[in-house]
Amino acid sequence: MQRKAGWLDKFVDDLPSQGWFQFLSRHLVVPYWIWRDPKPVLPGGPRPSVQPSESVQRMMNLIMPLKDPSPIGRARAALAISQNVDEIFAGLDNVGTVHNARFLLLDGNICMLSVYDGDFSNYIRDFIATIGSVFDAVMKEVEGGDAMVPTTEHIEEFIDWVCAHDLFQAPDIATDLFNLQDAAKGIAPGSLPHDLRLLPRELILQLHSNPNISLGGGYRAYPGYSAAQVRQKFGVGW
Amino acid sequence: MSRIDHSQLQGNILRGYRFGLVRHMLLEVTDRATVRAFLGVAAQGGGAEVPAITVDQPPDKTWPRDQKPASCFNIGLTFAGLRALGVAPGDLATFPTEFREGMAARATKLGDFGESAPRAWSQPFNRPEQIHLVASIHADSTAELDKVDTQVSRAFAVRGRLDGYALAQDKVYFGYTDSISQPKFSHVKDEVEPIDPYGTVLLGEPTRQEGLKFGVPTPQVLGHHGTFNAFRVLRQHVTAFEQYLDRAATELLNHPDSALVLPLDAQFSDGEKPLDRHGMLREVVAAQMCGRWRNGVPYGSSPDTMPDPASVPLTEYDYGRGSRCPVGSHMRRTNPRGGAIVQRIANYTRRLVRRGMSYGPIHTEGDSEPEVGLLGNFIGASLGAQFEAVMCDWLNLGLQDPDITGANDPLIGANSSETSWFDVTLRNGGTIRLRGFPRFVSTRGGVYTFLPSMPAIRYLARLKG
Ligand code: HEM
Repeated sequence: MQRKAGWLDKFVDDLPSQGWFQFLSRHLVVPYWIWRDPKPVLPGGPRPSVQPSESVQRMMNLIMPLKDPSPIGRARAALAISQNVDEIFAGLDNVGTVHNARFLLLDGNICMLSVYDGDFSNYIRDFIATIGSVFDAVMKEVEGGDAMVPTTEHIEEFIDWVCAHDLFQAPDIATDLFNLQDAAKGIAPGSLPHDLRLLPRELILQLHSNPNISLGGGYRAYPGYSAAQVRQKFGVGW
Repeated sequence: MSRIDHSQLQGNILRGYRFGLVRHMLLEVTDRATVRAFLGVAAQGGGAEVPAITVDQPPDKTWPRDQKPASCFNIGLTFAGLRALGVAPGDLATFPTEFREGMAARATKLGDFGESAPRAWSQPFNRPEQIHLVASIHADSTAELDKVDTQVSRAFAVRGRLDGYALAQDKVYFGYTDSISQPKFSHVKDEVEPIDPYGTVLLGEPTRQEGLKFGVPTPQVLGHHGTFNAFRVLRQHVTAFEQYLDRAATELLNHPDSALVLPLDAQFSDGEKPLDRHGMLREVVAAQMCGRWRNGVPYGSSPDTMPDPASVPLTEYDYGRGSRCPVGSHMRRTNPRGGAIVQRIANYTRRLVRRGMSYGPIHTEGDSEPEVGLLGNFIGASLGAQFEAVMCDWLNLGLQDPDITGANDPLIGANSSETSWFDVTLRNGGTIRLRGFPRFVSTRGGVYTFLPSMPAIRYLARLKG
């Protein structure tokens, strides 16, 4: 976008700070710009790096909406976990690349949070190959889950579904927004000049296309060793 | 007898043709009616103007397996190609994500960045939307290739041609003997690896992991017994590789533990002339990087000398605890066999059928040396579970063993001299870490294709609209 920043641009750019504008902007200005300048949905997940030695660890923040978010449905989901949790955790041992994992109920969602090493698809596939039949009990409580049971026979769909519900796969757009938008449109990063004054507007429009985003992060107290490296170091076999 | 009907499979999946030449034609469908008619005839034994698609075994057995036709002809379709032929959107959506996105979109997983990034790929790979089909012709003479080429060119817009050839004695550039290890679908003498189920390459058949089934795209006639192919144009930097062997051999020659790399009285030849110690250490480095001596002998079976390949079993071995074949070698990364790995359930699950031929030299102005390399086909029922899984966790990254985690495949990995390392194994169980080698293999292009069964090709030919 190489337009000059005119009065309309300034108008939109000031939106976040002008309280009295908020009603108008929500219902008129933002929809207008969404129509005028739609943004591509950005891909998430790790970025390319020259050598993957920096950190091999990844997180999964899987938010699975329950079919029945009432206390009854939530109780059923809690049972599906508690009845299978030993087998699930034993299965994670065989996946071999998992540091830790936990489940929780959050409003109408059942969540699985874990830290694992390496590629996302390989993690999910190995997880299902190991304990898919057990995890099916959980999927039956989840919206859209029935279509993927048994998960061992819907492995590709399951991986795609998890990817769409894993907040770690959300794009990290607080940094480098313009280049990411360009790349998603197939434009080489850095090849178009961008007007920095348009950043707030771009962010608002991008948030319309990507409701969930990651706001940077990545603090680590130590280099991101693999679970097997840690086990080996402490002599507990890998 | 297996219940697989070999007359209904394309012939380039379960076996190699062993012709001397190949031509891969990169084709765009500009007139779908013409292409459908072409495919209809090609899948019914061909005609005066149309080559026959070669099947794994002709139904009437007119040519015995050992009696070849003058040429073989096979096709693979990209996702854009299936769409161009008119496959219904609902059916297109049943193809796996990695195939729908295409190879260029998977660059991060495949280590394709920098000079290997899709943006830097040569024509026509920099316009993947134009590549609909890859037609592969195998023959022993250029005249035969040209004959089929002319027929194909009438039905398609030709966007590119890649010619390859088999180097003598099954060699590839870098000097290694290749085409030794492959998945085996029936019992073979001298084989310690388990037999691979047909589901390794044929959709709809059971896979190695009990219960795990890869999705078969719909309709059934289109997906059943099809398979996927990662076609890669891989440039090999031969000078850099040989120069690095020199450097590493010098380092090992002067290393205090040199005798632990190779006994001081070791003596072997390169097959023609005896080698001096530096020359032998060069071969040791090459062998440890690959997992085989350059003449094909498995390194783990004879780490102290390079014997005549005719005198030792080439596939009968495993990677036990004491194996001197480095965990980080190309072969152990791409197929850990029965060796211990972190992903305990994954041994033998990421198998790939490999069909490759060398290409080049291509002279480009401004290039420091003529381009040579490998036209590689990596075939499996799931690109995600096999090709990509090997590429992103094993070949690069090395998650399968804590001793190599953080390092890439020394031979073909996405290395950079600033960070690369590789541990040479010693006779006493120790290692010497080599560092500072560049990337020896870069990606010049590639596409993911679907290799349909014969009934599937006839289905595509019958599509309307
Ligand atoms: C220019 C690039 C490459 C070269 C020069 C190369 C070279 C070799 C050589 C010399 C062998 C041993 C010969 C044999 O056992 O048949 C081998 C084996 C193998 N390579 Fe590569 N390779 C290349 C790329 C790749 C890629 C990209 C992959 C896949 C991701 C791959 C997967 C394999 C596999 C699966 C084996 C057999 C391992 C076994 O079953 O023990 N190679 N390669």
